Amino acid sequence: MEEGLGFAVKYPFSASAKAALSGTELNERIVDMAIERLKKALKGDKSVKMLLHDSDRKEEIASYAAARMILGHLRNNFLTNSFAVNESKKVHDHLDKEDVKTVDAVAAEFGIVSGSAGGKMDIDLPTYLKFSTRNPHYRLINRRLICGRVEITYDEKKRLVEEAVRKHIEIIPLVKDPPDIIKSAGKKLVEELPKTESRIIANVKEGDHPPCVMRLLEEMKKHQNLPHQARVFLSSYLIAAGMNDDEITGLFSMLPDFSEKVTRYQVGHIRRKEYNVASCATVMTYGLCCAVCKIGSPLNWHSLDDYRKKAIREGTA
Amino acid sequence: MGANEVDFARKVFASYYGKAEFRIPKIEQREFGIGNQKKIDARHLNFGNAQEFRNYLCNNTPMFVSHSTSYYDFPGASPMQKKGWRGADLVFDLDIHAEGKYGAYAHLGRVREDVIRLVNEFILGDFGVKKEHVVVAFSGNRGYHVHVRDPAYLALGGDERRELVDYIMGQGLNYTEFFSLEGRPAKLIGPKPSEGGYRGRLARGTIRLLEESPGTLSRLFSKEKERNFFISGINEGNWSRTSLKSNDIVERLKPVAANLPVNSVDTDVGVTQDLSKLIRVPNSIHGDTGLIARIIDDIAKFNPWIDARIPGGAPIKVRFIEDVPAIEMDEAVGPFKKDDELELPQYQALFFMLKGSAIISDAKD
Repeated sequence: MEEGLGFAVKYPFSASAKAALSGTELNERIVDMAIERLKKALKGDKSVKMLLHDSDRKEEIASYAAARMILGHLRNNFLTNSFAVNESKKVHDHLDKEDVKTVDAVAAEFGIVSGSAGGKMDIDLPTYLKFSTRNPHYRLINRRLICGRVEITYDEKKRLVEEAVRKHIEIIPLVKDPPDIIKSAGKKLVEELPKTESRIIANVKEGDHPPCVMRLLEEMKKHQNLPHQARVFLSSYLIAAGMNDDEITGLFSMLPDFSEKVTRYQVGHIRRKEYNVASCATVMTYGLCCAVCKIGSPLNWHSLDDYRKKAIREGTA
Repeated sequence: MGANEVDFARKVFASYYGKAEFRIPKIEQREFGIGNQKKIDARHLNFGNAQEFRNYLCNNTPMFVSHSTSYYDFPGASPMQKKGWRGADLVFDLDIHAEGKYGAYAHLGRVREDVIRLVNEFILGDFGVKKEHVVVAFSGNRGYHVHVRDPAYLALGGDERRELVDYIMGQGLNYTEFFSLEGRPAKLIGPKPSEGGYRGRLARGTIRLLEESPGTLSRLFSKEKERNFFISGINEGNWSRTSLKSNDIVERLKPVAANLPVNSVDTDVGVTQDLSKLIRVPNSIHGDTGLIARIIDDIAKFNPWIDARIPGGAPIKVRFIEDVPAIEMDEAVGPFKKDDELELPQYQALFFMLKGSAIISDAKD
């Protein structure tokens, strides 16, 4: 198992990374590296540098901490979530190349401790719920669950760690009065940010769409990452609601891992293949249902009267 | 309900609250809500200890009192964001909705069966929660509340709690995926009764059905030899020990699979998922029925009409102001016609008064 600075560079949120940083002073070079790190996150660039000297490694770790300071100062969801997604994917790439001991050590940083029963790997249910993604494959109903232990594979364990890293990074403490170099770095970064606020989303009023769709739009507005099924569901729904590809792509540009090329292709594909909008039962299996509408299909929302829509939204239907 | 009835109910409630035994862990970290007209008219209340809470109930005597499932640093603060959330009990609300004011009471036994299954199979079995962390209470009206206070579950967010409810309700359950054809000649390999979760439950449910009602799955299994041969296979995870075709067997299991989830939880998903929800204080009185939301030690023996009534009190003469159908309480009660006047035990009189069907007889004119 890799230890020391090599480990800390790859896993800059770890306790050993924090220990390695003690005594390191924030300087311009570190802040520049932090800006670079954040810009790479916006592009979805997961590449890592080869670092030979300990001083370079320490700076690299410090750039992660400085990037978090900038994010804590800016409170920009889009930037924070892009950073969280990119960093967590980087961690997954590292884990794929690690030995079991190292994977266990990283997992343990988040309290993910697996056991084994009958030759199969398992983890405790609350931890599983906390770090599993909203994807049908990970839904509890599709898992083997015995006495509070959920069976997982080694690859799934690494995916749980990725999700744990993402969630950890997304929660950034507010940095109220940062040093001036952090303030100016934040200013510089914001100027370079793509303008992502979609006019369509700004014009959506409460009650325009069923609660499940509204919730996804709301999450998008906060630049939260959406699982694949949620994106497919939303695209097919918005197509059925009469939106064109440009408008839908514009909406998806708010996601932290947005790629215009991929989005255009997939939205076009859904339109060409005339994907049906998922029924309420399917939305439920995706884990995206968040109200009791009893309408069978999200599209039936539009035939409800305002009184009923309000009652459903308020949970009094 | 008139002023006389309200006064009477409050007196009975206050006298009960003077001696009632509340078991509210971390009372100082909980938000309380009280109601008179509605279930909750005011919230964001908090009490430093059990004695303060008792004094409040004896002096103010609301018709309903609820506490948060959540624990907070500042339970009395508002809005919610200022409270400082520390975690929440995992609470399940099982109740029945039926037609009419009195329709639900005939079905309370069914909800009780669901509670037993929820606790034994899901909470203790699948989720692995220890018995000492589970408290079951009667809701005081049409159902039951199950409070899970396992520290490991306190920190779960709303989405994660929803995932547990979906699991219990069997959302997205596709039991056909439990089966596969393997080997040559192909055998139908499926779950064994010893397995956990829905897989084991399907196998055990099938065996139970075969034993209790042999002909339901197929007339073939009316013959003991055929049936036992099939069951011996299921015990080993081999579902092919029958002359029925594989896909036919799987298809015929549909009704078994449909009965595996707990269906009555679905009425109140919000209670489990919503972290700001207030839930009736166990052992407090429900203002629509006068029954105590009693903490239950042995649910199999629990009868709300006996165990949840407020003890004591002399019989009361009431006059019915509307027709009431017969209700099976601990004894058959009713039916009553409008203007019927008679003496009823205190808990029955209170029940009909709070339901708005009767008034105290002396109050007439």
